[in-house]
Amino acid sequence: MTATAAPTTFPRAWRTARVTPLAELLAPGRIAATAVRLGLQVFLVTCLWRALYAGTHSSAGLVKEQAVSYAVLAALATRIRGLDRGAGRDTVIQHIQYGTIVYWFLRPVPPQRYYLYRALGDQAYGFAWAAVAYALCRLTGVLQAPASAGAGAAFAVSLLLGQIVLYYLTLLIDLLCFWTIQNNSALLILQFAQNLLSGAYAPLWFFPGWFVAMSAVLPFQSTLNVPLSLYIGRIPLSDLPAQLAVQAVWVLLLALLTRLLWRRAAARVVSQGG
Amino acid sequence: MDSVSRFFAAWRVARRIIALTFRARLEYRAEFLMNVGIGIVWQVSIIVFATVLLGRFPGMGGWPSDAVLLIAAMRMLSHGLFVLFFGRVYFLSLFVQEGFVDGFLLRPMPVHRQVQLAYFPTNAIGDLLVGVSMFTGAVWSIDLDWTLPRIGYVIAGLLGGMLMEAAIFTSLSSLHLRFPAAQAWSIWTEELLATFGNYPLKILPGVISGAFTFLLPLAFIAYFPAAVLTGHTSGLGVPAAVAAAAPLIALAAYVGSRYLWKWSLRHYTGVNG
Amino acid sequence: MRAAIEARGLTKTFSTTKRQPGLRGTLRSLVAPQRVSKTAVEDVSFSVATGELVALLGPNGAGKSTTIKMLTGILTPTSGEASVVGTVPYRERERNARNIGAVFGQRSQLWWDLPARESFTILRDIYGVGEAEHAARLREFDDLLELSSFWDTRIRHLSLGQRVRCDLAAALLHDPPVVFLDEPTIGMDVVVKEQVRRFLRHQVEERGRTVLLTTHDMTEVERLAERVVLINHGRIVLDGTLDEIRQRFGGGWRVNATVLGENRVPCPEGLRILHEEGPRLVFGPGRGSELTPHQALKRIIECYDVADIAVEESDLEDVMRTAYLREAA
Repeated sequence: MTATAAPTTFPRAWRTARVTPLAELLAPGRIAATAVRLGLQVFLVTCLWRALYAGTHSSAGLVKEQAVSYAVLAALATRIRGLDRGAGRDTVIQHIQYGTIVYWFLRPVPPQRYYLYRALGDQAYGFAWAAVAYALCRLTGVLQAPASAGAGAAFAVSLLLGQIVLYYLTLLIDLLCFWTIQNNSALLILQFAQNLLSGAYAPLWFFPGWFVAMSAVLPFQSTLNVPLSLYIGRIPLSDLPAQLAVQAVWVLLLALLTRLLWRRAAARVVSQGG
Repeated sequence: MDSVSRFFAAWRVARRIIALTFRARLEYRAEFLMNVGIGIVWQVSIIVFATVLLGRFPGMGGWPSDAVLLIAAMRMLSHGLFVLFFGRVYFLSLFVQEGFVDGFLLRPMPVHRQVQLAYFPTNAIGDLLVGVSMFTGAVWSIDLDWTLPRIGYVIAGLLGGMLMEAAIFTSLSSLHLRFPAAQAWSIWTEELLATFGNYPLKILPGVISGAFTFLLPLAFIAYFPAAVLTGHTSGLGVPAAVAAAAPLIALAAYVGSRYLWKWSLRHYTGVNG
Repeated sequence: MRAAIEARGLTKTFSTTKRQPGLRGTLRSLVAPQRVSKTAVEDVSFSVATGELVALLGPNGAGKSTTIKMLTGILTPTSGEASVVGTVPYRERERNARNIGAVFGQRSQLWWDLPARESFTILRDIYGVGEAEHAARLREFDDLLELSSFWDTRIRHLSLGQRVRCDLAAALLHDPPVVFLDEPTIGMDVVVKEQVRRFLRHQVEERGRTVLLTTHDMTEVERLAERVVLINHGRIVLDGTLDEIRQRFGGGWRVNATVLGENRVPCPEGLRILHEEGPRLVFGPGRGSELTPHQALKRIIECYDVADIAVEESDLEDVMRTAYLREAA
């Protein structure tokens, strides 16, 4: 039985990972719609921030070009995990509601591994979109270059760590679904925190000091605000090691927490029948 | 007489359903309170965000901060009203997926009403609490003489905002009846409304403010009524009279969206299987 | 030879919190929840030999689904043991996953937005089936289930019959020796049902698979099952072949005879005239009689001048109903 373990792992991971992208590629309408929405979003936020900065030069340590770059990058980055699995009845909560979650426990792939492959596929696909859009934005001058070569590299590393944190946060939210089909307030709290505190709507720098301090101790800002701020140079490179360390600590903490919850979730399935 | 008694009969049924769904939500007491709490926290954070931006970027197209705050406050309160009365239409694609719409079509009640009565909107409570507080604050702090006509107009403006948002989302939901992935458009539209609905649109390039007036009628929700109330009617992109007629236009838009809804239902093909 | 599926004393008790009505009750359930335990399955023991097709029957809520879930490893029993092809399903989940295939009625394991064939390829790679083997197996399933006419359509656009056929193929892609089916043909039209039955028979007879099937459809039981296990109120009520069940619960046969002649011979022993309409008589078994229809036929022909005769065996549904009700008493 174990003789086939090595040869099957890659094909199995590849096939599983490409499920959501494949579903989207098979629906050209959806791809076009996504492209349109993304393009419009970039255009709109660019105009908004340019307009807001019309009478001001610098605010909260950001000048106009920095703020615009931040907003555009945020619009692109939220594309990375923003694929629509709900329409395909493929979100964890839908599987639990429809009862098809049982099949996750009947296959030779552990449910955790299957979830990981799917998430990797989703994030890689979203990243491809974001990368293409990034190139286009740079070409059209909408987006500035990174503050320096070092800033660019720091951004890349921090973004990678931030995506790992985002993976664990999403996993956390999905795991809570095993306990909360009717009771979704825990889910809402986490989603709200992620939306607001990641800096997706506006650079966190604009918020009052106490807000920034609070979000510094939470994992959400490390998914977006930190990498983006490094890119635009709002966070100096000298702060980089400290920021990366914070991100790494969150990766560890969340990994342990989600591991524990997976075990509990599986136990719950086998005691309640899914 | 007959249509009046039918109206009262329908209202009685609706009231009973609302009482039941409300009680059903109340059963999970902790859950109920948390949902209200989340609604509050969410709206407060939007307010914090908006006021922070207002503080940092003064002078938006000649609009003083308290006037801009009025836009945000009106939008928030009319949004709360929208969620209370019409909010379920936003989730129509979920209803379609689970086959509820097929069931609704079999009952002797308009489908639109059944969708709205499907569950009690606990989150609306939080939205409204915040909306009312913010609106009261904005009205107190603004330097305006609140004559009776002004009060009447602001109420009309609020109701118009609610109806315009309802018109937008009812029209989008007509798409949900045909395309399962249409939910993404509704979500994106909601984000746009939340992002751009709190500012005087004249600060944006003409293309965009035009789009938000004629394509996605965001401007009619709070911007135009607030402009008329505070007298900043220059640079709106439409004549002041049109801006003043925003509540009526919203009503017409809502009626139009209901016709679109009805047409879309007629062509509903149902869930497979 | 060891049985393919073995259940020994399986028991499953669920504990739920009892929710009290009213405000006081809600508060109380938050602070001091009252737990209620419900035994879904109690001391269920049976075995299925390799290559056997057994139907698991019982009224709704009898514990059939719970039993199947324990045997597939989804549920861990409160007590008792199960073993499927020598593996304990809830303990060695991954190893067990390779030995079983499962179809749960209305719940599809296929990916909603992808064509069926794509789902098959994904499963092929998840289970590590060779490409050639996979292609051959798909051809076989296509021959039996006519999948190729719709396997390039997305699952969301398939009808129920098409979807369940795809699910059946998906469950068997990795050639599992044991298959669990939980109401697979529910809601299907007669043509597709027959196709599925033929497919299942083929899998059992030609491929030697072991199948445990739950169903409410008595025609299915008649056409497919060699053995029947009847569960009611969480306990096994009956475990035997169809003939045994009929003998035990299905005493009701009828003979419709058209007789000639004026004089009426008294009713033969062991028989009873249930109904008389001119020359047409309906006979049934006499009180306390153990007569088979065959013997009854013989006696009627001996006693009467018969112009036309027909036997009606009681239908399996009636037999089952008697069994459910009798055992409930």
